[in-house]
Amino acid sequence: MGVQTQRVEDFKLAKEPYYLPLGNEVEMFEAAYSARLPVMLKGPTGCGKTRFVEFMSWRLDRTLITVACHEDLTASDLVGKYTLRGDETVWQDGPLTIAVKTGGIAYLDEIVEARKDTTVVIHPLTDDRRILPLEKKGEILAAPDEFHLVISYNPGYQSVLKDLKHSTKQRFVALDFDYPPPDLEEEILRSEASVDADTASKLVKIAEKVRNLRTHGLEEGVSTRLLVYAGQLIGKGIEPVAACEATICKPITDDLDMQRSIVEIVATQF
Amino acid sequence: MTFGPAVGNVGMYVAREMLASVPEDQRATYLSLVEQISELKYQLGVEVARQLPRLLASHDTAHVAAYLDQVKAVAAVGWKSGVEVAKQLPDLYDAPDPALADAYVGIITGATAGPDEDTETVDLAAELDRLEQELREMEPKVQRAQELKSLLAARDRRDEKRRKHAVELASVLPPILARLRPRHRPTFLEQVDRVAAADPESALEAADTLLDLLNGERVSAEGAAEWVARGLDVLDRNKEVGRGYFRLGSKYALEVLDELREGLALKQVARVLKLYATALCGRDVAIRSTQEMYAIEAFGSDHVVLPPDMRFFEDDDANFTAYKVATAHGAGRIEFGTYEFRLDELDGLVMHLSEKYGGSV
Repeated sequence: MGVQTQRVEDFKLAKEPYYLPLGNEVEMFEAAYSARLPVMLKGPTGCGKTRFVEFMSWRLDRTLITVACHEDLTASDLVGKYTLRGDETVWQDGPLTIAVKTGGIAYLDEIVEARKDTTVVIHPLTDDRRILPLEKKGEILAAPDEFHLVISYNPGYQSVLKDLKHSTKQRFVALDFDYPPPDLEEEILRSEASVDADTASKLVKIAEKVRNLRTHGLEEGVSTRLLVYAGQLIGKGIEPVAACEATICKPITDDLDMQRSIVEIVATQF
Repeated sequence: MTFGPAVGNVGMYVAREMLASVPEDQRATYLSLVEQISELKYQLGVEVARQLPRLLASHDTAHVAAYLDQVKAVAAVGWKSGVEVAKQLPDLYDAPDPALADAYVGIITGATAGPDEDTETVDLAAELDRLEQELREMEPKVQRAQELKSLLAARDRRDEKRRKHAVELASVLPPILARLRPRHRPTFLEQVDRVAAADPESALEAADTLLDLLNGERVSAEGAAEWVARGLDVLDRNKEVGRGYFRLGSKYALEVLDELREGLALKQVARVLKLYATALCGRDVAIRSTQEMYAIEAFGSDHVVLPPDMRFFEDDDANFTAYKVATAHGAGRIEFGTYEFRLDELDGLVMHLSEKYGGSV
């Protein structure tokens, strides 16, 4: 089976992704897009940040190029680099450059994980210059009006070593995300996991209780994404307590007492 | 010439220069004579060894033999007189009148020996010998008697201590019994009786401990009996360690208690229940044992009080469920403000209900 090269067009969503607005985030994003202001999405893991960007890219009819940031990500990985291809040395655009060139949405997920010298690369794109210097090629790319830069990070993971520099933070319009209110979260579960209203209600109640443990030894509460997983397993015929144990309890903590207390909370519902 | 075994221990008495002053052909005789006389007394041997070279040089062997006989005769009645006679006699042999030496020996012998003993003295001496013999034979018995005396004295001291602790026990038992739940009294009395019979001091400790164990439902009647039996074994081996056991001051005592504990201990599941309650009501809830009731005022409102052990059911899972139900109940009270109710809010509540439902409430 040959390796298929993806085209930029492949990054445009053909089908509307499910997203249930929780507030005015859609309007805010659209306003920022039209004003060409970069956007920063803040919120706990699994609360719908990535889905929101996908939804907005579909809504704005833009390609979406997502980069999952990590600590080994270099500026060259983002911008591009010369690579050997046969006997030739050719320039390979990085995802950020592709997004700039095609006027798409560049989404740098968990930007805080990237090294600080890497994040500085995006600075010229985030102010009124809207340019991307390609130092190795000696070129400067001007971003078209359609280009939009979106970053996300989870404030819960912040530490002295891993935090965005203020010079980076203060270039973005920030949209706060959190777990949806119970009624909306139930609606999301019914839609995403195809569970009945009763199961959705129980899962949301469990999540609500488990999230109360966030300041008592649990780093993060159970995410909407994990609730969807639980609902999907239940939909596949897995016994609810076992499904919740596998999706809600074990992924979020290794503390045995904590795990047991979560199982007991699950058992009060199912 | 060497001093071999043949000359015995005469080397102790004969200095090298003395031996050198004896003509070589007489040295064996000299040493033999010294050996004979030294058997009587060491000091006598030394003196004779000192005088003999002179006698051997100036007199014949028969004369030397007479010297030794006279010295022995005096020494037989008193060895100190014999030493003096052995020293002076050679000078008297050199006197012109040979009768002097014999008279001198006679006087000294008579003076040393004294008059002949009468019958009474002999009898007394014999009696004394007999008594001394008996005393020597009695010596082990005297020693044993002293040992027994010490042993009994120690026991007396222990008995005194025991009686003192028995008095103390008599004083503390009634208030302990008053605090004991009536259904535990037979078990308590039986076990304290066992310990008191072995050691009243331990019974003082055991009474206090059993009060807590039984009132706190931490052991059953059988458990209490087993705990006491193991403690008595320890007490039998070492009193002090045994007393420590009965006051729960030893690791072993606590281990035995854990082993005998029935049901589910709160401390085993307290953290799970705390997290469970905190998750349910969304507030930081503390789990407290009923044994901590003395500090109830200091706990604040967000706590759930539970028994230290749950033993409603045979298996721990069911006991945990019982704990869980009690915890959920407590968490519900915290969440919905049962303990935050204030009387001054009652008026508003009545009005609110009157408005809501109409009529008089």
